[in-house]
Amino acid sequence: MAEKLDVKQGTLALMILRTLEVLGPLHGYGVARRIEETSKNRLTLNYGTLYPALLKLEQEGFVTAEWRQSENNRRAKFYSLTAAGRKQLAREAREWHRTADLIAAFLAPRREAP
Amino acid sequence: MRHLRAALARIAGFFTGHGADDDLREELQAHLDLETAENIRRGMDPDEARRQALLASGGLTVAVEAVRDQRGLPWIESVAADIRYAMRALRHSPAFTTVVVITLALGIGANTAIFSVVHGVLLKPLPHRDGDRLLYLRQSVDGPGGANVLFSVPEVRDFREGAKSLGGIAEYSPFTFTLQGVNDAVHINVGLVTGNFFAVMGLAPVLGRLTRPSDDGPGVPAVMVLTHEYWIKRFGGDSSIVGKQVRVDGKSVTVIGVVQPAPSYPDRVDVLTNMVISPHHLSALMVQNRSHRMTEMVARLAPSATMEQAMAEVAAVHARMQRDFKEAYNPGSHYRVAVIPFKEVLGERARLTLWLLMGAAAFVLIIAAANVTNLTLMRGVRREHELVVRAALGAGVRRLRRLLLVENLVLTFAGAILGVIIAMGGVGLLTSLAERYSPRANEIRLDVAALGFTLALSVAVALLLSFAASLPAEGTFAAAISAGVQRISGSLRKQRLQRGLVVAQIAVSVVLLSGAGLLTRTMIRLSDVHTGLKTEEVLTMPVPLFVLTGGFDPKADVAAKEQYDRMRREIRVLPGVIDVGVGSTMPLRSSEILFEMKAEGKPLAVGEAIPRADVRTASPEYFHAAGIPLLKGRQFYATDREGSGRVVIINQTLADKFFPGEDPLGKRIAWTGEVLKFTPFSGEWRTIVGVVGNTQDGGLDAAPRPAVFMPFAQEIAVFGGMVIRADSNVAGLVAAATRVVRRIAPTTPIENVLTVAQIKDQSVAPRRLNAALIALFGILAVIIAAVGIAGVLTFSVSTRTNEIGIRMSLGANSGMVQRMILREGGVLLVIGLVLGVVGAFFAGGVIRGLLFGVAPHDPITLIGVAVMMAAIGIGACWIPALRAARIDPAITMRAA
Repeated sequence: MAEKLDVKQGTLALMILRTLEVLGPLHGYGVARRIEETSKNRLTLNYGTLYPALLKLEQEGFVTAEWRQSENNRRAKFYSLTAAGRKQLAREAREWHRTADLIAAFLAPRREAP
Repeated sequence: MRHLRAALARIAGFFTGHGADDDLREELQAHLDLETAENIRRGMDPDEARRQALLASGGLTVAVEAVRDQRGLPWIESVAADIRYAMRALRHSPAFTTVVVITLALGIGANTAIFSVVHGVLLKPLPHRDGDRLLYLRQSVDGPGGANVLFSVPEVRDFREGAKSLGGIAEYSPFTFTLQGVNDAVHINVGLVTGNFFAVMGLAPVLGRLTRPSDDGPGVPAVMVLTHEYWIKRFGGDSSIVGKQVRVDGKSVTVIGVVQPAPSYPDRVDVLTNMVISPHHLSALMVQNRSHRMTEMVARLAPSATMEQAMAEVAAVHARMQRDFKEAYNPGSHYRVAVIPFKEVLGERARLTLWLLMGAAAFVLIIAAANVTNLTLMRGVRREHELVVRAALGAGVRRLRRLLLVENLVLTFAGAILGVIIAMGGVGLLTSLAERYSPRANEIRLDVAALGFTLALSVAVALLLSFAASLPAEGTFAAAISAGVQRISGSLRKQRLQRGLVVAQIAVSVVLLSGAGLLTRTMIRLSDVHTGLKTEEVLTMPVPLFVLTGGFDPKADVAAKEQYDRMRREIRVLPGVIDVGVGSTMPLRSSEILFEMKAEGKPLAVGEAIPRADVRTASPEYFHAAGIPLLKGRQFYATDREGSGRVVIINQTLADKFFPGEDPLGKRIAWTGEVLKFTPFSGEWRTIVGVVGNTQDGGLDAAPRPAVFMPFAQEIAVFGGMVIRADSNVAGLVAAATRVVRRIAPTTPIENVLTVAQIKDQSVAPRRLNAALIALFGILAVIIAAVGIAGVLTFSVSTRTNEIGIRMSLGANSGMVQRMILREGGVLLVIGLVLGVVGAFFAGGVIRGLLFGVAPHDPITLIGVAVMMAAIGIGACWIPALRAARIDPAITMRAA
């Protein structure tokens, strides 16, 4: 079984935004399931991590929330991406790629002999 | 943008968060339900499905807490919680809280009250426009009465022309006139001013207009500007007063305006008029004679000019004057001019007293804060167990520090609120004190500045208290907890701090007490001063019938003398009256006129200042009525009158000055100096017929001034008043005597009717208040310090119970234990006393100017204070020592 990882605040926000972009409006449970599945269960999100992050995104104006009926007729709070959230996601994704490329370049095994 | 939005959302959340909790719980519940359903769908049985879902959640309460922190402002919320907690903790130790709050309230209250006085009288900017550029010029000479000899009009003119760094120079001459109302007459203090006075002073009218240069000179209408205070007092703030006529000394004067509230110097004035009201001030003699000095001078520093330039220019102009007009500046008198900021002159008399009180109050606060620090330190030790538990539950050192700070802030603010209430009462009392010293006393307020000072003080004390309590460094808690300790200090550092605080308290108490002792002795010495009068059953009643400013009118003079004679005869027959005299000046009051004087055949030594003497007149009965002893020669007779030979009686001081070791009787003296020409007094030779004892005319603490008495009947009746002696209870005669005077002179104001005892008291009263205030502070300090010593030792005993038990079981008896504790306290006491006496030695020098008849380091006071403090200190050590001696080794050993 793969090692479990702690999720960092900044990356969690990115994951949530991306999830909402791909799947459209979604409740907290759906977001958690999707992130866990995408990470092949290497990440687990307890409520104390997930919900403050959702609230923070809401406060920053990147997501909005409203109560709706869920697929099995249970009332749940659905989060959806705002225009600002979409822009933020694009920006953060770009940043993330750039950083990842940079780190990858640094950590790449040396090919040429000195 | 994003952060601002988030911040706003959080602030909103702070206020509306409570309803959001339900919402959140429902959301979490939904999550749980969805996950449970999913688990069931995967084939778990319902119970297991729910258990797994709960496990994955990581705890609902934790989640709620985390979201709450994100939603609102957790810092404020936890501070609010801290405050609630602090209140609860303080309620649980009511004795500690009460002692601390009261101690702080006394310290903060005293400081707030005195600061508001210092601020109002010394620090606050003047109400005048650019008040810090106003200057006061003061000319002085050597010798008695020479501290301020004022300026003559030609001198002012020279400064105006020669000192260009003074942008404007105004003349101001205080005078007393009589204001006749519809059915009364009162004295008013008038400032005769040049037209530019208000422009120079930078004052604006609140009503009407102020004087201007066109109001100068002869032949203009007399105009009057009311001070704000007098406008309210006399005219009830009636705005229709502007344009009306009032009668002053029989002349009609138009009120032209009311000036904004502002302090005046040297004395409070009621109204300001142009010079035309006093013919004397426009006479050629006044305007042209350089020696006729009766004008105060205020100036405004020119824009861009500096204080140093002004001083240099004034000195240069003054030096030139002395060179060009040698006759007006006797070299032996050392004429000099000082340039002083007006604000400083206003605070001159109050400064030393107020800073003394401020210093004493600061000392009380230091002692109070030291005591409270000690109390919190001790309480801190008892609370360490609690702090360890809180740390174990996850509170960081910073969090604990904040908790302490909040608690101390709650304490000091409670103290501050109580202190401000105390200060409100104190400010009234202090204002009446300040009125004796400062024209700005009515500016004293418990205002924003004073309250700001209080707030700053409280926060400073709270910070001090919080950081005096030592918290272990971050990380050491864990070690302490795992070691299972209940206490983490009792450290040497803390003990040393406590002891240092006790030493400081004792030292400061000694300084305060010795200050109080010196001032009390000053007061006692002062009230013991012999006035020079043989009895206190004397009533003085100034009845000025005749005013000099109107010019000299012989007919009015004769009429006045007749009136005085009638008053004298009618009062003489009142029951209980022994004798009644008439004279220009009341005994124990200095004369308003002072002339230069010479003695026949006694040339001045080169460089010697010309002697000056008080000019006084007296009827034959005056000396007997006043109880002034005749030392040599004779009284005046009824035959010493107009037309007979000029005779005088001199006082002992003048006799010693001119005729040391000789018999002055039959010798001749004369008034001299340029200024005589403008007065009704002649410079003829006058034969000395008697010598009387000195009286304390300049106040009980002043050296006696040389004085010359001339026969009342031989000179003009300037000023004037009745001196009444009774066999007992002279105060009871006031009503009857006033009735007599009022009947004979219905339009003359009768004010300042005082017995000799009352005059004496006026001289002593300010000192008494000083001494009482400092003594109050001293006593407060001693009480707080005594509590401090006892508290620290008691605490020391309680932490050493085990040790003492062991000592006793090893053979120490209770006497030895008692001595051990006493020694512990005694060391602190001795160090504190030594430091205190050294401090008192310096403090005595600082307050030298307030002392009279006692040396600044008076050994009796210092020893007395040290002995008293030692006695109180030993007493305070005894209680914990006795407690230590009563420790039962069996019990303590078992408890350990």
